[in-house]
Amino acid sequence: MEGSKRRARYVLKRLIQAVPIVLAIVVLNFFLLQLAEGDAVDVLAGEAGSATPEYMAELREKFGLDKPLIVQLGVYLKNVVTLDLGYSFRHDMPVSQLVFDRFIPTLLLMTSTIFLAVGLGIVLGLVAASGLNTWRDTAISIFALITYATPLFWVGLMLIVVFSLNLGWFPTSGMEDFAMFYEGWDRVVDIAHHLVLPTITLSLFYLALYTRLMRASMLEQAGQDYVTTARAKGLTERRIVFVHVLRNALLPVVTMAGVQVGALIGGSVIVESVFAWPGLGMLAFEALFARDLNLLLGIFLLSAVLVVAVNLVVDIIYSTLDPRIEMA
Amino acid sequence: MNFKALLMGATWAIGLALSPITAIAQNSGGNLVYLVQPEPPSLASFLSTSGPIGLVAPKIYDGLFDYDTDLQIVPSLAESYEVSEDGKTVTFKLRQGVVWHDGAPFTSADVAFTVMDVLKQVHPRGPNSFREVTSIDTPDDYTAVFNLENPAPYMLRALSVYESPMVPKHLLEGQDPRNSDLATNPVGTGPFRFVEWRKGQYIRLDKNENYWKPGLPLLDRIVGRFIPDASTRTAAMENGEVMYGAYGAIPNIDAVRLREMDGFSVTTDGYAMINPMALIEFNTTKPPFDNPAMRRAVSLVMDRQFLIDNIWFGYGKPATSALSSNFDKVGLYRSGLPNYPATGDLEAAIKELDDAGIMPDADGVRASITLDLIPYGEDWRRAGEYMKQAMKPLGIEVELRYEDVPTWLNRIYAEYDFEMNVNYFYQLPDPVLGVHRHYGTDQIRQGTHFVNSSRYSNPELDALLAAGAQEPDATKRAEIYGEIQEILATDMPVANLFEMEFLTVYNDKLADHATSAMGAYGPFENASITE
Repeated sequence: MEGSKRRARYVLKRLIQAVPIVLAIVVLNFFLLQLAEGDAVDVLAGEAGSATPEYMAELREKFGLDKPLIVQLGVYLKNVVTLDLGYSFRHDMPVSQLVFDRFIPTLLLMTSTIFLAVGLGIVLGLVAASGLNTWRDTAISIFALITYATPLFWVGLMLIVVFSLNLGWFPTSGMEDFAMFYEGWDRVVDIAHHLVLPTITLSLFYLALYTRLMRASMLEQAGQDYVTTARAKGLTERRIVFVHVLRNALLPVVTMAGVQVGALIGGSVIVESVFAWPGLGMLAFEALFARDLNLLLGIFLLSAVLVVAVNLVVDIIYSTLDPRIEMA
Repeated sequence: MNFKALLMGATWAIGLALSPITAIAQNSGGNLVYLVQPEPPSLASFLSTSGPIGLVAPKIYDGLFDYDTDLQIVPSLAESYEVSEDGKTVTFKLRQGVVWHDGAPFTSADVAFTVMDVLKQVHPRGPNSFREVTSIDTPDDYTAVFNLENPAPYMLRALSVYESPMVPKHLLEGQDPRNSDLATNPVGTGPFRFVEWRKGQYIRLDKNENYWKPGLPLLDRIVGRFIPDASTRTAAMENGEVMYGAYGAIPNIDAVRLREMDGFSVTTDGYAMINPMALIEFNTTKPPFDNPAMRRAVSLVMDRQFLIDNIWFGYGKPATSALSSNFDKVGLYRSGLPNYPATGDLEAAIKELDDAGIMPDADGVRASITLDLIPYGEDWRRAGEYMKQAMKPLGIEVELRYEDVPTWLNRIYAEYDFEMNVNYFYQLPDPVLGVHRHYGTDQIRQGTHFVNSSRYSNPELDALLAAGAQEPDATKRAEIYGEIQEILATDMPVANLFEMEFLTVYNDKLADHATSAMGAYGPFENASITE
């Protein structure tokens, strides 16, 4: 009872601390984005062909781009405080709706990638560490090195060439079959089918990291005194590895995963671009080139909030994994 | 039933050892997935001529006219038209029984509203296309009388669904057309009706069961997909996930490979109304390009054929005038002009500079300049690298500058902070619509994109442009434009490089997608998929 109360107080404290951080990020991003030349009106008018200066002035007025910078920032902050992320004039939609629509595919890709990369990384690291300097260890290390060093877009394109064009097992791109528009369970299966290649591509990169980390962490723990003690008690190797070493070795992996979840939320521009996956990364990328600042700020804000939240969750997982770590 | 579709269907059927009857039966129906690249900002074709909007909106709306592959007028929403003796009244007889996708009838009130309150007000090119229109009378529901200040023969070339879509008055009246729901939820009279737009994924259009052309469209559904990566677009085409990609959606380097594969075709048809022209804009207000000799020398030294062969994989045609040779069909193009050598003429270029007294310094340098490149893809960057090399023997040292789109637009059209800029312009089906904006003094409009950024101003040329716009007589008009081209070949405020040929790559199962001059910007009502 005492523990859970303390935990709640801790969470609350962390959340309150997060507010100024997030606000600072918003203000910083706002000014950073002003450094880019040209604005949304330039891009819209440029795409349209010929537009009159009057029309462009009118657009600037409509978008609020004619106001002094500090007023624009004030308006934006006021909106953010009331949970209004503003309006994307380019997409003619509220930013919150745009971001939410693209957040779900990102979440799908991110979750499956994290599970695959962390899960398989732990297993491979474990296998490599327990067979130190055997052929298994060497093979796994080489595999990790190659996947880490290969550029993502190339892996993606090669997977498309092999598994889509040559074997025909998976579709090349997209999230659904747009000729058919499946519904219900068929749709779920269809989306899962489309998810396979992007997940593998993105996982391969992170997989290498977790494998290396897990292997190093396992080796480090194996030399600790408590392992010697356990062995002296006469425990089986299996029990030592799975009950004692593994649990301790997982801590750095969890830290790493926490940091990377944050990075993955921003989406992966490369994987989304290669597989035409409709995630946040592409949205942010396009928004940058369209100078759609409201939208960009919205995405940044969401990422900032999520990074803060994920870090909090990681800290809580930490204390569960290792009761010695207390929350204060 | 369309003969060509039948023939193609039959050929396929024999190839697949199926009975021809099956193929014909399947000729109607099917879902077409095609490439739309990049994702359009909206579907308001009445507000923006942005390329990707043109790939989608013309399937939803209709124009007064369509144009066949010889650029001749084909009736669409207007069944017939009549131009008065003095050229100042144009009467359109409209088709009866046409309904909007929401069921409301299409009438002359829609036409008057579209032209006067929408296109003439907010369309980028509309104020130019319809500049002579003072009012539109609607004596009855199916007659629209355009009253003109001066004759405007070019206006009849600007009535396609891409250039001037007819929009529903009842859904726009009383609103600001720039800020209406119609932009993302279009309602037209066209062969397909808008169903859904998933940002970052696709736009879905379904068959309009009440389309006014009997038995059409043949397809049940068309879906425009957005795939950001060019290699993936090609893979999706190869895999049959998409069947059609136009305007370079499949890059030339992949298109020439697909061309050799079974089941795919590549065509340059369907761009006759667009007339894209690659060119160099010079800043004529400051050294060194305030001197026409410098501009002529650059035009002389360019090996246009080299650019076409090596960077655009042979697709394109060297420019020989300020006008595209496509205007030969309407008699406006003049051939045999000086200063446009197809394969470059270094000696002539050097002589040009020597004669003008622009001499090299001790290092052999006559001028050092920066060349800006249109940031629309790698091809342009490569073209810039070639130009840098080509101008070196001439004694012109070139720095290349490649920026992102907003920065570049701002530099060229608002700040005028450039010396030489590689670009391309759509010349459109009439010079008044696409070419005048490049040269007229009235087209020096700071902050407006794709107009006279060279800030070239020549009263003699201005007078000829004004005369050319109003001249109804074809022979006299040709004479005027001949003179215009002579002047521009000598003054060279813009050096045209080559007439671009965009590529359309398609799966052979798709038939009849380019039955009008509009190509990818057309309605696709005759298109069908044969298995």
